[in-house]
Parts: sequence; structure tokens; C-alpha cells
Amino acid sequence: MSTIQHEFRHATAPRERLVGPNFFRILNSERIKFLSLLSTRILLLCAAALMVGFAALQAWGIGTFYESSRRPPGGAAGGGPAGQGGVPDVTQILHQIPSAGVSFAQLIIGSLAVLMISAEFSTGMARSSFAAIPTRWPVLAAKAMYAAVVGFGLTYIGAYVGGLVAVPILNSYNLHLDMASWDVQRLMLLNAVYVAAVTLMGLGLGALLRNSAGAIVTLVALLFVLPIIFAIIQADFFKETRKYFPTTAADAMFEAGSSAAHNTAYLEPWQGALVLAAYVVVLLGAAFTSLKQRDV
Amino acid sequence: MIQATDLAKVYGDKTAVDGVTFTVEPGRVTGFLGPNGAGKSTTMRMIMGLDAPTRGTVTVNGAPYAKHKAPLREIGALLEAKAVHPGRTAFSHLSALAATHGIPSKRVHEVIEMTGLGAVAKKKVKGFSLGMGQRLGIAVALLGDPQVIILDEPVNGLDPEGVVWVRNLVKYLASTGRTVFLSSHLMSEMAQTADHLIVIGRGRILADAPIQDVIEGQGKARSRVRTDRPEDLSRLLARSGVTIQAPEHEVLEVSGLDSRSIAQIALDNRVLVYELTPLQASLEEAYMQLTKDEVEYRSDAAAAHVPLPSGSEPDVQASAPAQEVSR
Repeated sequence: MSTIQHEFRHATAPRERLVGPNFFRILNSERIKFLSLLSTRILLLCAAALMVGFAALQAWGIGTFYESSRRPPGGAAGGGPAGQGGVPDVTQILHQIPSAGVSFAQLIIGSLAVLMISAEFSTGMARSSFAAIPTRWPVLAAKAMYAAVVGFGLTYIGAYVGGLVAVPILNSYNLHLDMASWDVQRLMLLNAVYVAAVTLMGLGLGALLRNSAGAIVTLVALLFVLPIIFAIIQADFFKETRKYFPTTAADAMFEAGSSAAHNTAYLEPWQGALVLAAYVVVLLGAAFTSLKQRDV
Repeated sequence: MIQATDLAKVYGDKTAVDGVTFTVEPGRVTGFLGPNGAGKSTTMRMIMGLDAPTRGTVTVNGAPYAKHKAPLREIGALLEAKAVHPGRTAFSHLSALAATHGIPSKRVHEVIEMTGLGAVAKKKVKGFSLGMGQRLGIAVALLGDPQVIILDEPVNGLDPEGVVWVRNLVKYLASTGRTVFLSSHLMSEMAQTADHLIVIGRGRILADAPIQDVIEGQGKARSRVRTDRPEDLSRLLARSGVTIQAPEHEVLEVSGLDSRSIAQIALDNRVLVYELTPLQASLEEAYMQLTKDEVEYRSDAAAAHVPLPSGSEPDVQASAPAQEVSR
């Protein structure tokens, strides 16, 4: 028996204080989970690369467009997307350059948020996680914090680096982008808030559907496909409903603090922000309820 | 200690666990035995608070699992191998779980070494064999040095050395006063490991007794009799409550009558008996006896046209060669 006692001397440990979970410990656990997956790091890298790449591409595109429309005096009729005649006023567009990649990066970051919870269920990890934390909700709450922080941080930093890359490109076309200006910072921050909201929606969908593919498809449909379909159909109902999609609500929110005239295709900025918040609250709220009630 | 009271779980119209009441005592290895789909895993998930009972309660060390301040230090469980994200290493997996309870990394290294995962701890779980997955699951179960250890089919996929290792481990844990609850479909393994047995079939408890009682309680006293006049002896022994089979030429297997009475009857009637051996049922046999009705019901339900074996006596008949252990 002595060899057995030796072999299993670590089966039992000296009983220290009965330390249990608290929210900081759970946050720490979720941090280890988040960072220990290669797929997470790859997705984050892809999202960052997209942000920077699109900013550079957009700067180059606007630069060449600006140059070509300036050369023949009088310029091309119709002007830039900002809608002015003559020499296009690209200032509004310039402000959006740092955040140009958001519409694609949001899909990657949103999918990552879905996977944070849906992979727990698809791999069986959930049984380990929720056996450790039988109250369950703090696990989702910790994940939500990381998802939101990563969504916000990556979008903001990605946009900032993208802007820094775009500035010299624009300079070569005699265009100037002031990264410190209010308009640029305003859009970068609002985009970062928007992507944080997208990650929370993704997390909510992942926890509700517990299926990675299903939740990602639903998220993409909500963010991308449905608004496009509704934009194509020219009926008042669809036009009106379209305002309430997360993406369009976010577009409305992006006008907050802007000097440009309000676009009637969108809600008021504060309404947009509320609609976006409603998506987050409803999906996450349903996720918390489902997590509490359903068997793991 | 684990206490289940009228614990039930119903999925739709399927009753997985049908009001079971049992206690798993500390200081011994309690085996949880039952056919596939009998409700073993569901019961274990309910103990761990992963599945909510439809009815009844289950407590661990006096409180529902979710009410404990430090759950991993109350119960450690291996519910199924590879309840792990395959993209993580064994070390990260253990570290993440340890972090929830502020368990120091020294302890993570200890359980890795003890379960023999040292060489693969930094490798992704994706590439683990079933046996390594089991060892990781056992490492998780021991991580918080819990008072109660639940292992669902722990020897599945383990090599013979691993099987012996698990057997020694659970016996050691029980010897330190811990509660060990172990499910297995390997009856021979149970016979060697468990002190106490809870047998479950179709969601109901069929037996809850020390393992020796389960074995003895099922086999009615049976004896093997070799005689040169089997027909005559059969006639002489025949009475109500006595079953006689003739598995071989000149061999009778008699149940319901003890060896001494058989010898007396043979002597009184001058029948030569050249072997008279009391037989003890093996655990396997006892288990088959206990779960027979449940299993029959199941296969019957699956293929309703298959006729039931005739005869009201539910004894194992000669058609199924029984494995005996000579006393």
C-alpha cells in the first residue's frame, strides 16, 4: 500500500482555505480560455489586418478619384458620394477612412464572439465550465466583458493604425486627414461602440443557438443580408423596417455630433443608438435566461 | 456524501431517470451499474447541476451542488472524456478551470504529473487518444482536491495498466474517507473495484447493497450435481420452487434447494452422486438477472414482433451458458 500511497500522494492536496469562484477569478479563467486558442488569435489578426488594409485601400481609392476629378477643370458632374457638384467635397469621406474596414471586420469579430460561447457547447467544454461555475451567468458575463472590450479595442486601434497608414497615402494626393480631429475621433469611437455591440449580439446568439454555424449565419443575415434585401425592395414597409436593422441603426448613430444634414433614410442618432442597445439587451437577456434554464 | 431523493428526469415523453433514491456514502467506492441508456449519465449530470431534475432533489455534502461556495472543492467529476475544447492544451484547460477557484498552478502541475500527462501537457487535446482524454478528465476531477469524486466510465479506452491505475486511485481516495461514485458497464471491473453497488435499469434502482450481497442475493442457492441417473434424480428433486436444468450429460444444475438437501434425497433413494458443488453467481450473472427485465423490455419495444422467451420463470435457462464461480 505504501507504493500506492506514494503514487497517489498528490491525489489529495493539503486542504487550504476553501477558496471558491468570484468574478475576478472567473474573468481570469475566461482570459486564459480566450488567449489559449490559436483560432482566436488568427481571427483577431485577420480583423486587424482588414481594418488597416481597407483604410489604406480607401485612402488610395479616394486619392485617385479626387485627383482624376480635379484634373479637368470643372470636374466630373455628380461629384463624390458626398453629393456636391464641381470639385467633390471629400471631407466627409476622409473622416470615414480610418473606420473603412469596419463593415467587414465586424463580421470576423462578431463570429469570434459567437464562437466564444457556441464552441463551449459544441466541444463539450461547457460541461467543464459550468461544473466549475454552476451559477453559470458569471461565465457569460465575463465572456461579454471580453467580447465587448476586444470588439471596442480592436476596432479603435485598427482604425487608428489604419488612419496612420492612410495619412501619408492621402498626403501624396494633397488630401489631409487629421487623426486628432473631432470628426475622425467621433467616427472611430462610434464605430468601436458599434462593433462592441455586434460582439454582444454575437455572444447572445451563440448562447441561444449553441451552434456555431447557425449563430454566425444568423448574425451575418441580421447585419448584412437582410438590410440589403430590404434596401432593394422599394416598398414603404421595407424602407421603414430597414431603419431598425443593427447596421442601419448604427449608421444613424454615426451621425451623432455630425455637422452634416440628417439623412431621412435613417433614424435620429439617439434613436439609432437605442435600437442598437435594444438588440444587445434583448439577445443577451434571452441568452442569460436560456443559460440559466436549459440543461448543459 | 451524495443523497438523491426521488430524483427524476423526463425528456419529452422519455423518462431517463424515474424517481431514484439513494445515498453514496463516504469512505468507500460505490459502483453505479446499469445497461446503456439506464440513466447513469443523466443521474450524474443532475448531481453536477448540469441537468435540472424534473422532480426530486439531489444534494452533495448536504447542499445542492450549485449552492456550494467552492463547487470544484466539493465534487470533482469526469462526466465524459474530452469535455474540453480540442484546440486547447491540457495545461491551458486545467489552468482555466483552476483559475475559477484560485487553485495555484502548483496544483495543476501536480495533477498533470499524477495522471501521467507530463509529456503531452503542452500539446493540443485534439491529438489525444481516448485514454489520454480520460486521464485529463481524471486530472480535472482531482484538481480541486474534492471530497466527492464522480467518474463516469473512467476506464473506457484505458490500457490495462491504466485500468489498474484507476482501480488503485479510487480505492486510495475512498481509503482517505472520500466519497467515490463510479459508473462502469464493465462488471468484472466493478467486482474488483467497488465496495458497494447501485444497479440502475430503465431509470429505476434495481439494487443498492454491498457488492457481495448483490452477487449472493441474486443467485438462489444453486448446485451442480453429477450423477449417473440424472432422470431419476430430477424426478426425486422436483417440487415447487426448484428449478432443474441439464446442461450436459449426467449433469444437473439445481436451484432452490441447498446442497445438503440434495445429498440427503440422493442418499435416501440410493442414487449415486459423484459431484455436488454449490455454485455462486458471478457479478455478471447477478447483473444480468437484475437487468434482464429491463433489457428484455427494451429489445421488445425496439422490435415488437420478436416473441418473448416463453416461460414465466425468469431464471437464466440452459440456453445461456452461465458463468459460475466455484466456491
